[in-house]
Amino acid sequence: MNYKLFHKIVLMVALMTTTISVHAQVEAFEKYADMKNVTYVYISQAMLKLAKGLATPSVPGMDMKDAFTKLNAVQIITSDNKAARAKLKAEVAEVVKRDKYEMLMQVDEDDSKVRIYFKDGKKQAVILMSTDESNETSVIVFTGTFKIEDIQKMTEK
Amino acid sequence: MEKIDIKELERIPIPEGLEERLSAKIDEWARPSKSPLKGDFKSSPFKGDRRGSALLLAASFILVCGIGLYFALAPTNKGTVDTYDDPETASLEAQKALQLLATNLNKGMAQYEKAVN
Repeated sequence: MNYKLFHKIVLMVALMTTTISVHAQVEAFEKYADMKNVTYVYISQAMLKLAKGLATPSVPGMDMKDAFTKLNAVQIITSDNKAARAKLKAEVAEVVKRDKYEMLMQVDEDDSKVRIYFKDGKKQAVILMSTDESNETSVIVFTGTFKIEDIQKMTEK
Repeated sequence: MEKIDIKELERIPIPEGLEERLSAKIDEWARPSKSPLKGDFKSSPFKGDRRGSALLLAASFILVCGIGLYFALAPTNKGTVDTYDDPETASLEAQKALQLLATNLNKGMAQYEKAVN
């Protein structure tokens, strides 16, 4: 029997599935790319690899180059539109509940409310940070292979 | 030309079981011919290995589905297309985002420490 051919086919399908699953992790906020009154920024893993050499150690306790290596994607969604902001906040609440994120930190100040959530998936982890200010709402999604210890290091000055 | 005597022919002994064998052969000819697929199967590289053929068929099906899914979910929308073409701008933006995360984590830790002490 042609087992070699069969194994090759299985390997190809596995690779495709991996690509799809990596893609699936960031799709929750993809729709904001086409939305009016919303600024959407996407930085892919390939771009992060290219950008790694240009990273500077600007955050105490954090090795930027190492952080770039561990990141698979960065999504930044910002809006100052009332309707879009409401939608974005509802989306964050839904994603956090549906995908069972755990809250890492909550920072409430007079002019802003920050929520930092973390999800350690089987293949990759996600940090979701939402910032709600008086006139703007922003969501930053970091997807990568980092661990909770890497986040902990960021708080060590 | 010599005339054939039927009565003389009837006297020739018939071999035992000939009638049954002939009937069986006629029945076999009367049956519908085998499926052309089965005939082709014999000429397949698996030489009648049905399990191998089934596996290959299943693998081909998975491959087709995989390719279909891959292209269906491929980055066709703006959501998975890099915003920046320039790595320097992308680097600055990613660093800014990480810095904001670190700032907020430190703010939270400071609030926590303040509350504890």
